[in-house]
Amino acid sequence: MLFALASWLFYSFTKQHLLDQQKDILLYEASHIKSQLRELHQSHSNRLIYPVAEQIESAIYDLDKRYIFGTLDERVELHSMDDIDKIYAIVDIEPHYLGAAYLLVVKNIDLEPITNLENKTLIFMLIATIFFAVLGYFLGGLFIAPMRESIERMNYFIQDATHELNTPISTILTNIEMIESMDKNLKNTQELKRIEIASKTLSRIYDDLAYLNLNHNYHRHIESIEIGLMVEERIEYFRVLAKAKELKIKLDIEPNIVLDIDKNDALRVCDNLISNAIKYNKVGGQLYIQVTQNTLVVEDSGVGINERDLGFILERFRRANKSEGGFGIGLNIVNHVVRNYGFDLQISSQQNQGTKVVIRW
Amino acid sequence: MVKVVTIVSFVIVSLFADLQKSCLACHEKEQIPSELIYKRYLLKYSTPKNIEEAMLRYLKSPTKTTSIMPPQFFLKFPMKTEIGLDDDTLRVNIELYMKKFDIKKRLYYR
Repeated sequence: MLFALASWLFYSFTKQHLLDQQKDILLYEASHIKSQLRELHQSHSNRLIYPVAEQIESAIYDLDKRYIFGTLDERVELHSMDDIDKIYAIVDIEPHYLGAAYLLVVKNIDLEPITNLENKTLIFMLIATIFFAVLGYFLGGLFIAPMRESIERMNYFIQDATHELNTPISTILTNIEMIESMDKNLKNTQELKRIEIASKTLSRIYDDLAYLNLNHNYHRHIESIEIGLMVEERIEYFRVLAKAKELKIKLDIEPNIVLDIDKNDALRVCDNLISNAIKYNKVGGQLYIQVTQNTLVVEDSGVGINERDLGFILERFRRANKSEGGFGIGLNIVNHVVRNYGFDLQISSQQNQGTKVVIRW
Repeated sequence: MVKVVTIVSFVIVSLFADLQKSCLACHEKEQIPSELIYKRYLLKYSTPKNIEEAMLRYLKSPTKTTSIMPPQFFLKFPMKTEIGLDDDTLRVNIELYMKKFDIKKRLYYR
């Protein structure tokens, strides 16, 4: 923009300079005509030959600006020259040779130098644009290289971590279930519950990482899913976590709300919204989930998100609150799923009062 | 038509005869350069209206201050005496005088 502005200014000034040069030539011719008018005035000849300059038209006018004589049309008034293809000058004549008080000189603008200037400016702009584009590309590459490397490192780490986490998490969860089924007395012990909470948290993180790892491009099996039932199932799954925080859960679910969606996508949305609402809630806080014909609402009474971070909260690896663990990928996944299905995602939040996430379909 | 042309020509001729009689006869007798005087009026006053007013001022009160000519001119030529014509007649004669020496009629370009 600045470069275009500078080029335009250069073009305007140079064009004006060229026009001024042409006007100077015109004024020089006018002074020449003026001296010839003086000679005519002093002449005693019966036939006075009016001076005609090459490529210049002229006329003389009296004090009342009435046409006296000239090569210009008699109808041309002294101050009515508005032809943009011509330059003109009005020169005062004092004393009034032949009764003339004004000399009007008119000349066609020589367009050749202006056209040359236009071409040169355009070529210069084109070359400069290419130069700056190439320079910008290389400089941009240099500047964002560290950021790109950092993201790549993070992605490699996620890939490796995902691969390594799969087997131990599955083993832990399977064995917890086995212990619970083998010994009913152990089922409600605090220690086992803590192990269960930790492994479910790990399992959810693993699922998110696996989802990211596949870059959301895996084959989707679209099926009719009753979203209310899924929300209830996932609440049940996370109930141990919610109980650990002594949360009051309120569900307001309309029955038979069916969505055509890939099950894993629906799970990622439900799990992330519910786990966030639990994770960032206060001890003894509230968790409200509503499913209606067109919306899924997940609302908590937790720490909330400040206004500055709210605009960036959907970006990958972005975390508004670092007091809890996580990679900052949950809402990014939710946003991807919502966009993929053409849904609408709205997040409103007030710090220390809570966050409300609404998905409309 | 012929009659009209004849009458108009007659009127013009008789008017110019009046100018000749009232003004130019004396100018010629005293060898006063009429064209030079007219050019001086042109040089200073530019428009026919301004020239007419300046000439009328001089003819009604001919002095060195109302004259267009420099004071040295009157060392060689006599100062005009008042003609005693009324304003309308003077204006008619001035217009005829300007027509006679009109510079436009002599301007051409190649």
